[in-house]
Amino acid sequence: MMTIFNGKNKISTNQLIRYSILVYWSLFWLLNIVDKIIGGSLFLWVGRDRFAQFQRFFASAGLESPLIADFALVIAAGLEVFAFVFFTGSLIHFFKKSVESSRSWFLIGICFTLITFTIFSIGDHVFGDRFELLEHTLFWFLALFSWVVFIRLDRSQATEELKISKRQFMGASIVAVMLVMATSVSIFNYNDNFFFRRTEPVVAEKVGENIYKVSFPFLGGSTVFEKTIEKFKNENPDKKIDHIYTVPNELRLKKADALIFYIVTEDKE
Amino acid sequence: MKEKTIIRFSILIFWTFFWGLSVLDKIIPDVHNLWVGKDFFALFVKFFGSLGLKDPIFPTIALAFVSALEVVNFVFYLLSIVNFSKSKNDLAEKWFFRAVFSSITLFSLFSIADQVFGDRFQLLEHGLFWLILIASWVLYKYISDSDEKLLSLGFSKDVKIAVAIGTIITVVTSLSIMDFSKRTFTNVNSPVKGEEVVDGVYKFDFPFLADKLVWEKTINTFKKDHPNLNINYIYTGPSELNSKKKTHMLLYVFTEKK
Repeated sequence: MMTIFNGKNKISTNQLIRYSILVYWSLFWLLNIVDKIIGGSLFLWVGRDRFAQFQRFFASAGLESPLIADFALVIAAGLEVFAFVFFTGSLIHFFKKSVESSRSWFLIGICFTLITFTIFSIGDHVFGDRFELLEHTLFWFLALFSWVVFIRLDRSQATEELKISKRQFMGASIVAVMLVMATSVSIFNYNDNFFFRRTEPVVAEKVGENIYKVSFPFLGGSTVFEKTIEKFKNENPDKKIDHIYTVPNELRLKKADALIFYIVTEDKE
Repeated sequence: MKEKTIIRFSILIFWTFFWGLSVLDKIIPDVHNLWVGKDFFALFVKFFGSLGLKDPIFPTIALAFVSALEVVNFVFYLLSIVNFSKSKNDLAEKWFFRAVFSSITLFSLFSIADQVFGDRFQLLEHGLFWLILIASWVLYKYISDSDEKLLSLGFSKDVKIAVAIGTIITVVTSLSIMDFSKRTFTNVNSPVKGEEVVDGVYKFDFPFLADKLVWEKTINTFKKDHPNLNINYIYTGPSELNSKKKTHMLLYVFTEKK
């Protein structure tokens, strides 16, 4: 049996991968359920407003009553809950070395997952959302693939060992520690020197008669925008903002440019 | 029931619905009650227009050809699932192979067209569907050849506990969903309250449920509440300003005193 270390730890790599599959799907559905219970955004949780999404989908098909979105969401939540319960049950059985039970529970979890994503895909066709169709088809496939990997690893009897020598282990640790230190220093340094970009106003550069360019830093958000406008108004009391033109993505230099906008003004009478 | 039967049935159901609904989407070309779908005719017209073929006969013929291939796909999947439900596994497998083969041929044609029309995102999308189809065939075959295990899960004590826990969590989640819906559904029809962020500039955080009617109500309410202000300009905040993903849309209204 293939093992990670030759010492006391006798867990096989096959078992580790199977644990990973069970933990992944259990957490996947648990967090989906938590997202539905919370609903909107809270401190430490943004999530996705599924009610708004469902409501907009059904409204686009002429079904504007919130009861329909509620009903669809409850059905989806029910499927997700049972997928979570069976994956977690499978994980518990696997932990207790009850491999056959774990396999049966996992299959039921997979069935709930496949049903959920099949229904979602049908919805994507009806509501014409091709991106979500691709997303749900990929998840459907991942569930199917997880099942095959899970049962394949059940039968697989690998013989090679994954022994790591002490010298290699030490070498890898030293390189890793050095890289972690270099990365951490760089990140903390960047935070110290550039976090002000998250809050400080940006200077508007005059590029033509009554036209000013504002090039946002990547960290800029609505606070920077508001402070920039305030600063511009204070520095140009004789100018009136006529309109703001946001440079579309097509005119930006790929990822090198963040948000760019022009303030078009006119002289105050 | 055999495990392989469950998995193979899931594969057939998914792809039968996938192609059946794709065909239906071509039969219903526009937005109707209970059906939104995608306007493929408009998409094809734009694609061929970009090549300089502005006569609508070109996209019409192309769409008719694609639809015909999709119908063939759907019929193959349908025959496969019908044979499968009659336990004629060999026939089901033969039809499934034909269906997968014609589907990957269609996605190959789509991919060629994506390259011609320069649509890299659709190329990725069609490439992924192509891959998933091939993988579906491999999984279908693999399971049929190697796995004859029966699903062994009776209504034992731990299954009863799982069903009870699942029911309780479903009830809690459902109550939470309905409560959230009750609290936020008013956003569909209520004006958004503005906040003066700079002298004469008001910010509106539009919720996810808001649409054009909310926009109209918001502006009319704002004008009513501020009779001494003239609206000079309305600026829709681009997505870069809305980094937290908590808000659906940011709107700034620039005003001056009358």
